[in-house]
Order: sequence, then structure tokens, then C-alpha cells
Amino acid sequence: MKKTVDVSIPLGPVHPCWKEPVRLKCETAGERVLRTEVELGYMKKGIERIMRGRPWQEVMFLAERVCGICSVIHNMVFIEAMEEISDIAVPPRAAYLRVVANELDRIASHILANFSYCYTIEHETLAMYLLNTRETVLDNLERLTGSRINTAYMIPGGVRFDLLPEDAAAMLADLSKVEEEMQRHTRIFETGPLIALRSKGIGVMNHEEAIRSHTVGPTARASGVVCDLRLRHPTYRELGFTQVTRTEGDNFARVMVRFQEVFQSIDLIRKCIETLPDGPVRGGGFCKAGETSYAGEAPRGELTYSIKTDDYGRVVDIAIRTPSIMNIEACVHAMIPDATSIADVTATFISSDPCVACNER
Amino acid sequence: MRSIIYYVREFLRPEWLKTFFFARTAPLETPSYFKGYPARTEKECTRCLSCMMICPAPGAIAVLRKKDQWGPEIYPGHCIRCGLCVEACPEGVLSSGRILDVTRRDGTAFWSWYHLQVDDSLCMRCGNCCVSCPVNREIDPQLGATGTSSSDEVIMRIEGGRVTILHEEKCTGCKTCEINCPNRAIRVARMVEGVQGEEAEA
Repeated sequence: MKKTVDVSIPLGPVHPCWKEPVRLKCETAGERVLRTEVELGYMKKGIERIMRGRPWQEVMFLAERVCGICSVIHNMVFIEAMEEISDIAVPPRAAYLRVVANELDRIASHILANFSYCYTIEHETLAMYLLNTRETVLDNLERLTGSRINTAYMIPGGVRFDLLPEDAAAMLADLSKVEEEMQRHTRIFETGPLIALRSKGIGVMNHEEAIRSHTVGPTARASGVVCDLRLRHPTYRELGFTQVTRTEGDNFARVMVRFQEVFQSIDLIRKCIETLPDGPVRGGGFCKAGETSYAGEAPRGELTYSIKTDDYGRVVDIAIRTPSIMNIEACVHAMIPDATSIADVTATFISSDPCVACNER
Repeated sequence: MRSIIYYVREFLRPEWLKTFFFARTAPLETPSYFKGYPARTEKECTRCLSCMMICPAPGAIAVLRKKDQWGPEIYPGHCIRCGLCVEACPEGVLSSGRILDVTRRDGTAFWSWYHLQVDDSLCMRCGNCCVSCPVNREIDPQLGATGTSSSDEVIMRIEGGRVTILHEEKCTGCKTCEINCPNRAIRVARMVEGVQGEEAEA
């Protein structure tokens, strides 16, 4: 970066607010931030290279390990891409159970992102309340799949375990508890005057900038962009999904979009469990040769898997595009410049929910 | 004075005193649905190697012989507790959480097929694959000793200077041939299908 001012402040790669290593270089004049640049690449894993030449039952687990926070959607998008290649139909019960697992994972991910934001603006009380609620959600994910994260729940042609009626009842009871707690937390966030001082009107990204920088997920939805791939997913369409949109485009809007999506996900799970069709959860079917590009809505935005397989269902070539890279770049080039203090840079960066593990798979 | 009275009244409430003196964290107990490391049940292992073949983690499971009895051995440092081996075992030798019960109740199972593929441009006809194959050796012990065979029952043998695959369906997918091939000419493709209901019982 060409130096235009005398003080350039590095944030990271080791920083108490960052969950993962990433470096922000801020050029400042006094407290004002003029320009920012992001430096990634501290934890490259090379997962796509390891995936090559392996059958789905091995790649499935590697795909989950791209990102620990949103592992279910990585599994789901990979498996649905393989199903699209091989023309495997999913039984309706399995399709609904997939939505349940995916939405539980989304709730957990959104709560973690909001925890992270509250922690960054030093509202640790609310942050810890949120983490406490997240535990209940993860317990329910464990009830359904057997593990809290990296669940390996979906396989081509269905899911691995059925949802028992007593578990469904316990899950609904837990979800009402989560909803009640989240209503309280949302109220704390919405009405807190000090939270508003740190969040409202800070890191504003307007509609045009959001479209120009190709942001995805809650970050884009907070700027009023219509982009939710769940609108196109057949199961979600059956459930009558509509997306959450806000128009402010600031830190407050981004966090509030996630809070609202938590309630929406709770409603989707309820609807799924109430209208769960009977029947098998596995349809069978072999993976065949083919090539496709399949996208799904991760908690952070659009996640794309481009896969090429051989005759026996082994992955020949794979490329993953994760949502965070667009959001990080948009954050650095559209939200952070003109921030009035360095303290707002960390808050703004965290509000765009950057997932470095996804980016550097 | 009013605030002192307020606090005294607040702190003398039975609920407050109860929480203050008897506050405890919930006991740590493993829920029944938790997927732990797979453990052995009483069932006898038939050495079909299904568990080993479906395992996605390298070096997590091995079927070993202990005092004339074969059985799967789990290495906890490598195991990722996915539970695929529990579902794949046709005999129910392994158990983890409630996977075994759920699998039995729903009638879910994994079917696997193996496909052997020889790349003729890489193969140098050394026959290592045929000799090293444990199934071949069991069918025709002479094959392991001298390297030549006239048996038609083996999985593969060298015929006319080429590897000919005779009985692909006998392959257990152990990949011993792949490991022993100097040129990586022979490849074993493992195909797995998740099934449920009547299909699974067949």
C-alpha cells in the first residue's frame, strides 16, 4: 500500500477481537481512518487438494471441516451437488430433516456472530447471555445428529438418522425457551442506548455499494439487497420462506438482521416438525460421473461448490467459493473508510461476520 | 434507611438464600444420543472389513486378531466419531451412542461395491497385485507361494501377460493391491449407497 499519511495502524493477525488470524492495515489521520487494506493467508489448509481422488463418504467429512461454525451447510451443499450430478431424488421426510439441521446450525452461527459483535463493543454481559442460549441450540443439534458440530448428517439420497417423536417434542420445547431468551436479548440490543452509540450509523454501506462489491448474506440483506438462495431452494419454497431485509446498512442493521433470522429459523423448524411427512429417510442411489456447480445459502451468504466426478463417484476436481471473501472485501473498501475511530474498525469488521477458516480452506 | 431495609428484605428472601447457598452447576452427564467412540458389543466379528472400508479417517480403525478371535480395534486419537463403522457393520459388532438401536429400528444400512480398475499404460505386468491380494491367497494358496495360478475363482490373475479381473464381486476393498502396486496402476473405487427398508434387508 502506498503511504499517503504518516500513521498506518496494523490490526492483527493476532488481535483479541479476531477469532481467526487476519490483518487489517489502516491508514489514519488522527483518529480518522482514510483507507484500509486486508491481508489474508495465515492459515491455508489446502482442503480442496486433499479432496481430489476421494469418494463422497470421505469428501463429506472434509467439506465439513472447511468451517467449524457453519459445518452443516458445507455438508448440505456438497451432498446436494453430488445428488444433482447423479440424479438422486431425496425422500420428502429427509428433505425436511435437512432443513431442520441446517436451520439449527444457522441459529448457532448467527448467535455466535452476534456474540462476537457484542464482545467487540465490550458488551460482555449480552455476549455471554447469547453464548448460553447457543448451548441449547447445539444440544438440539446433538439430539438430532449425535454431535454438536461436524455432524455428517446428510448423505446422497437422504439423511443418516430419523427424528424420533419424543425428540421432536423436546426440540420444540427447547426452541420455545430459545425464542423467549432471544426475544429478551434482542430487546436488550435494540433498546440499549450505549449499544446504539456504538452501532447506529457506523460502518454504513448503502445499497449501491453493497451491489457493486457483491456482498452476500446478512451483510447484503442489511443494505436492502434481495439475495437469499433459500428463496430458490425447493424445500424452503414449500415452507413459504421469505427473506429478512433491512435498509439502514450500518452495524446495527447487520446484527439485527441476524437476530431476526434466528426467529425466522425457529419458525421454519417448527413448521418443518409440524408438517414432517412420513416415509423413509434414505432413498439410496449411486454417485455417477458429471460436472456441476451448486450453490446454497450459508449463514454468511452464498456458498458454491463446483464439482467434477468420475464414473465411480470420486471427486476429480473441486472448487469451493465461500461467502466471507466478498463480505470482507466489501467491509474493508465500503464500510470501514471514513470511520471516526480505530475502535469502530474492529466493531465494523466483526459486524460483517468474517469467517477466515472458510476463506482459506 | 429505606435502602438498607430494601436490601435486607431482598437478601432474606428464601429463593435468594436458596440460590446463594445451594447454587450448583448442572451435573455433567453424557446424553444417550451422544456419539462416542465406537465400543465392542458381544457379537462375533466375521471379518468382512466393512467398518474399515467405510472409515473416512486414516488409521482410525483396524480389524485385528487377538487370541484366535478377530475384532475391530478403534484408535481414539484418529477416530472422528462419525459412526459410519457402526452403521456399516452387518453384524452389529460395534456400538456408539444410540446409533445401533436407531439403525435397527429404521432399517437403515450402507451398501458398498468395489470396482477394480487397471490402467494398462501404467501397468508393467509384475503381478504384485494378484499375489498380495488376501482374498486371492485364501482361494488359491498356491498363488501366494509361486505367483502363478490356474484357478478361475480368484479375483484377478495374470493372463497372457495382462492383469485380468475375473471376480470383482469378491473384492473386500482392502486396497492391498493398490499399496503393493509400484506404479499406482491398479485403483480400487469404493462406492457406497445409503439404503433403508426392504432394500437394506435384501
